[in-house]
Formats: sequence, structure tokens, C-alpha cells
Amino acid sequence: MTARLTPLALSVVTVGAWGLVLGVLSGRAELVVVVLPLLLGLLRLGRAGSARSVALSRAVSAARVFEGDRVTVTVTVTASGRVPLLELYEPLPPALRVVGGETRGLFSLRRGQQVEWRYEVECVRRGRVSLGAVRARLWGRAGLEAGETSIPLPWPLRVYPRPLPLRRLPGPRRMQAFVGNYVAPSVGEGLEPGDIRAFVPGDRVRHVNWRASLRFRRLFVTQYHQERNADVVLMLDTLAEAGTAPNTTLDASIRAAAALATAYLARKDRVGLIEYCGPFRWVRPSSGRAHHERIFEALLRADVMFSYVTQEVALVPRRILPPQALVIAISPLLDPRFEKALVDLAARGFDLMVLSPSPIPLVRRALRRTASAELACRLWALERRARADALHRLGITIVDWNPAEPLEAALGGLTRSRRRGVAR
Amino acid sequence: MRRLAAVLALVVVGAPLLVAPSSSVVTLGVLALILCGLGILVGTPVLAVGMIVALAEYALALRLADGPPRLAGAAMLGVALVLLLEVADFGLRARRAAIGPRVVAMQLRAWSLFAALASAGALLAGAAASIASASVRMPWAPALAAAGAAVTLVGMALALAAARARSDD
Repeated sequence: MTARLTPLALSVVTVGAWGLVLGVLSGRAELVVVVLPLLLGLLRLGRAGSARSVALSRAVSAARVFEGDRVTVTVTVTASGRVPLLELYEPLPPALRVVGGETRGLFSLRRGQQVEWRYEVECVRRGRVSLGAVRARLWGRAGLEAGETSIPLPWPLRVYPRPLPLRRLPGPRRMQAFVGNYVAPSVGEGLEPGDIRAFVPGDRVRHVNWRASLRFRRLFVTQYHQERNADVVLMLDTLAEAGTAPNTTLDASIRAAAALATAYLARKDRVGLIEYCGPFRWVRPSSGRAHHERIFEALLRADVMFSYVTQEVALVPRRILPPQALVIAISPLLDPRFEKALVDLAARGFDLMVLSPSPIPLVRRALRRTASAELACRLWALERRARADALHRLGITIVDWNPAEPLEAALGGLTRSRRRGVAR
Repeated sequence: MRRLAAVLALVVVGAPLLVAPSSSVVTLGVLALILCGLGILVGTPVLAVGMIVALAEYALALRLADGPPRLAGAAMLGVALVLLLEVADFGLRARRAAIGPRVVAMQLRAWSLFAALASAGALLAGAAASIASASVRMPWAPALAAAGAAVTLVGMALALAAARARSDD
């Protein structure tokens, strides 16, 4: 513990000294008497409590939360000796914001007394947040000296990206072999009627199409489309970001990825994740609740990381990027390396679409509104449009998404255009 | 706490006006009041400056009144000065902080106890000085200045020694 005199003690000494000077100058004894209580007050120095007499423990209402959720932090202070005045301060990481109570507290404790101090924080941004050390300051009752110490109370908190609501999803053009929710072109067991063909021995009676059979006076059976699942690979661009936290393009991309992963996994599809930050980091496509957790863990640690390494898409193994997969690339298209990877994917014949969270509204929100800023944003929008058109000419479907607007609205246009078989 | 500090500031600034309500004293009083008010809001160093101006106001009032020594009033003023500093400082510390149970009550009790002891001590010292001045004739002003300087130095040395000892803790 580091003890020091406070500005109050120095003020007392200063006022006392000036009082004596004025007493001498004026030749009045009253000024000396005025100073006496100030000097007597200094005798109370050395009465601040000891850090050893304080024990702290912390509890947080939840260890795993989504962005925007609130958690209650409870710090319990136990005194093994008398503590005249204890000041506690908990510096919060930028991902957390106080919404209830205070992160600073003042307590007076008797021997053996226990006090609980609560405050509520809102988790503003995804990530692994650690509530670290609590700063403690032990004051004397008069406030003339203070001892400072830092009490480490590590408490990890995982803040997952909040998935945006999604009901309609872009459907894949190619299916996989497992049962799912998509109506496949191939016929077999299913619910959706497909073709009609002549009855052959072995066909089930319940598949006989009686209307056609009566008209043509021979037996016909109805064939059904198989219902299959699909592989969806989300490719996340973590090469660059724009905007201010917690509303950067990467934050928007990660929320969109979380929403898409949740929605596709709910449809029993296999979902994989590839993070492109120069080198590749990936999560192999799979399905189920455990895989949902795995993808969210990967999204939790996704961040922009500078790297000189630029890997080629060809280096991604087939088990990570299956040839039949629908690849949804989520990128603000700020880095030409990602555009090159997109062109490479399109050239390899992947069913590819690009969801591009626009950085312009996010940057505009952070900027002061001036004529030059507006002009720059308009030029930037034109440049983005030109780049998107260049990619579109290569057959890549691009959805421009303003992160301030619902993701579903942006994807709505895409689902229609894909149903018509038209790439924008 | 701010209200209590404001009341104490009014007492500190208003006491010299009871001794000599002249325009120059009032002018210094207004200046002291502004500085004290600012100090209550901003920080202890500004408050200390305001209190030094208030002491100058008191010295001027005593000089203008030129009456017999008023030791009881001076002792009360000294106690009010200490309390003003401590209350304002505590108010600043308690701003935007969760206050635990009994903190304010314990603080008020400590201040009351100190006020009683300090005023009694100051009165006793004043009385002893009065008795001594009647029997012993010596140049009091230099003696008091030397004593005050010595007390301040010893106080500072003790405080620094205590702080050093605690940092080794």
C-alpha cells in the first residue's frame, strides 16, 4: 500500500502558515488562536486503516451475455479491523458502460462488518471482457492522508454478438446429401410434389396419383422432391474496419454473421466460418447447438489484425470450403485483398454472394457535419458503387447494407433476385 | 455536504463583519466568499486560497476594530475553518460515489468530536497565553512566529515520516 498526504493536509498547513504570518503582521493574538485548531487537526495524521484489514470479493450476475445485455456487479467488502473510510473504484473496460449505481463507493466499516456494493453495467461491445483490479483508497477520518492499493479480482465476462432478427434467408443453389429444409431438384422421399410417372412394381400405393390414373386408365404415381440441407460458409473480412466502436463495419459484419449462422443452423444446415485477416482462420462446417457455440466463440475473438501475410483461397482445404457450399462473404470492401479473394472464389465456381455493410453511414455518424465531409462521403459512395459494379460484372452478387437499417430488409431483395435466378 | 460547507463558508466570511463591518472588510469578504464557493465546487486548493483571503479579512477587521483580544470567537473561527476544509473535501470525494451505510453519520460524529476538542484546546491555549502575558513580558510577535514555524515544521516532518512508514507497509 502506498500512503501519501492529501491535498487537504497541504491546504491545512498552508492556511495555518498564512494565519501565523498574518498574526505576526497584524500583531493580533486572535489569528494565532484561529490557527491552533488547524494545527491540532494535523495531530490526526496516521489514522488511515490498513489494506490488510479489508477483504474484497466480486460476483457478476452472468458470465456469458449478448451485446446490449445488462449485468449486475456485486462487490462484497469485509473488514477484519476497523476501517474509518474506504473508497473503492472500479475502472471499467470500454466494452462496458455503467447504467445503474456508481463504480465508486465510500464505506465506513466496523470490525467484522460486511457491506455489499452493487452497480449495473451494459455490455456495449462483443469480446472477452475482464473486470480487473479494484482500486482501494483508505482514508483517515479527517481525510488528511490516504493509502492506495489495488486488489486484483479477475472476473472474465464473455459478451457475444447479438444476432439480428432474420426470417428470410438467401437459399443455396446446391444441396447436400443430408435431410434438411430445402426442396432439392432430385426426386425421392419428401413433401413437395414433383413429377408424375407410370406405376412400376414396388411403388407405394399411397403415392398413386388417382386423378391422373383415372384420366389415362392406367396407374400413375406422384414423385416428390427430396428435402435436403446445405453447406453455408460465412467468410468474414477482418482486414480493415471503419467507424467508431461499438458501431464499426466489423461490429456490423459480426452481428450479421451471428444472425446468419443462427438462422442457417436453425434450418439444420451445416455452417462454417472463415475469417480472412491476411491469413485464414476457420471453423469447419457442421451443425447443431454445440457448433453454434463454436461459431460464436470464433466471432468473439474476431478482430482486425495487421498482417503482411496474404494467403490464397486455394489454400483453404475442401473440408472447410466444400465445393457445393453457399459462400456468404461479409465485407465492407475496404481492402483490395478481400476483393481479390472474392474474384478467386467466383472464378472457382462457388455459389457466392457478398453482404457489404456500408462504412459510409458509420463514418458520417462519427464526423462533424461539414460540406467537405458530405462531399467526401458522396465521392466515397460513388467509388464503392464503381467497385461493386466491377465485381457484379464478374458475376458476383453484392448486397449493399446500411447497418442502421434491418439486415432482413437488405437480404429481402437478394432472396427475390436469387429465386428468379438473377444476379444483381 | 455542499450545503453544510456553504453554511460554514458564510460563517467564516461573516465573522469578521461582526468585528468591523467596514467597506474594505466587506470587499475582502465578498472575494473570499466567491473563492470559497468556487473551492467547494472545484477543489480544496481553491478553497484554501479563499480561506487565506478570509483570514486576511479577519486580520483587517481586527486591525480596524482595535479592541481587546476576542479569543473565544477566534477559537470558533479556527474550528469553522478546519470543518469547512474537511466538509468540502469530503463532499468532493463523495460526489458521484455510492455511499455506504453510516458513512455520513460517522463522519458527522467525528467532526463534532473534533470541533469540541479543538475549540476547548484552543480556548485553553488562549487562556494560558493570556495568563502568561500578564506575568511575563516579552516580544510576543516574534516568539509566536517562531513557535508557529516550529510547530508547522514538526507537523510536516511527522506527517512525512508517517507517510513514509505507511508506504513501507
